[in-house]
Amino acid sequence: MTQTHSVGTLQPAKRRRWNATDLGLIAVFAALVAASALVAAIPVGGLGVPITLQTLAVMLTGLALGPGRAFAAVGLYTLLGLAGLPIFSGGRSGLGILAGPSAGYIIAFPLAAAAVGWLAAVVIRRTVKFRAVLLFVSAMATSIVLVHGLGIAGMMVNAKLDFSKAFLADLPFYPGDIIKNVLAVTVAIALHKAFPDLLVRRVRQLPQKAAALKAATPEATAPEASAQQ
Amino acid sequence: MRGHGFLLANYVPGTSLIHRMPLWLKFLLVLACGMASFLIVDWRLAAAALGVLCGLFLLSGAGPVRLFRAVRPLLPILLVIGAFQWWQLGGPVAARIVLNILLCVVAASLLTATTPLHRLLDGVVSLARPFRRFGADPERFALTIAIMLRSIPFIAGAFSDVRDSARARGLERNPRALVLPVFITTVAYARHTGEALAARGLGEPED
Repeated sequence: MTQTHSVGTLQPAKRRRWNATDLGLIAVFAALVAASALVAAIPVGGLGVPITLQTLAVMLTGLALGPGRAFAAVGLYTLLGLAGLPIFSGGRSGLGILAGPSAGYIIAFPLAAAAVGWLAAVVIRRTVKFRAVLLFVSAMATSIVLVHGLGIAGMMVNAKLDFSKAFLADLPFYPGDIIKNVLAVTVAIALHKAFPDLLVRRVRQLPQKAAALKAATPEATAPEASAQQ
Repeated sequence: MRGHGFLLANYVPGTSLIHRMPLWLKFLLVLACGMASFLIVDWRLAAAALGVLCGLFLLSGAGPVRLFRAVRPLLPILLVIGAFQWWQLGGPVAARIVLNILLCVVAASLLTATTPLHRLLDGVVSLARPFRRFGADPERFALTIAIMLRSIPFIAGAFSDVRDSARARGLERNPRALVLPVFITTVAYARHTGEALAARGLGEPED
């Protein structure tokens, strides 16, 4: 909740509702998270350690879409998985997941997507240099605090482990997470190069240029769109 | 995974009492089992409740094979947890922890085994109705769910296409070559979907 508020202060006058393209992005990225949980894991590098792509897709949704839409996309995925669609990793589904030891990770996914999206939006708006490093730092911070934090909490609640045991049970996920976050950041940077307007529509432009741009794109503001009808 | 076959995975058609129960009642049952797993302190009570639910599951006509399939993914980790907690906290507590998790899982799979998916999705959409006054729009929500469902096979196909082409170039161990084209395809596909929606006047906010 705090994230959406701070986004509101970051980008004033952006109280616009999601248009059809945003809806398409939310739906397709939710499908992407689902598909990446369903496809087989890929072997990485020379080690041949297989990694599943699910947390990669969650982080990338955040890095690509920004807090609001990423939360909606990953939240939609989580909601439908809990409702019984077999889209969690290994084809699992249903509310029973919430009783299992991996409940914390599932709950953390939408929050992590929102958090990393907010951090990514700040990084892309405010910085030009060292974006890759900063994006990686934000992705790592998010996965340590939210994904691993809530994952440990989930194991403590459901499997009744105490903190140190749950922490040890969670440790083996770290190397894979570091690899996935590096990969997520390289992909995210390529995505923002391929689609420069994906996350940030107007980056600190001169006032008259921004005004001209706003006039040129009718969907930039909702009132103009409705005035055209 | 091709087509929408995977969407039918869990449902077993039938006319039993549980099939005819309204969705909200089944949901309350699952919720009650979730609560019970925190309240039950005696493992014998947990075992009895689990027995009742397994009986209900078999009465619904879904069969013991499906019951086993519902709990199978959890069995290895439950064995580990059970053995570990037996060592740490003793037999009764370990049995209670494992049985309570099984109780929730069986209750949840009872819900998905006796409710067709479209009813479940309607239930999800109706969750948005109370939030209408805060700007939620159940119709756009339902539209988003529909687009998501039809996109899953496309993206799963994109994963395998990209994997094939990476293999053809000898890059099957290069993670960037394996995932980056999928994400580019995804974003392009999402934008095309959005444009197609906008062209049909669908999915735009109403105000």
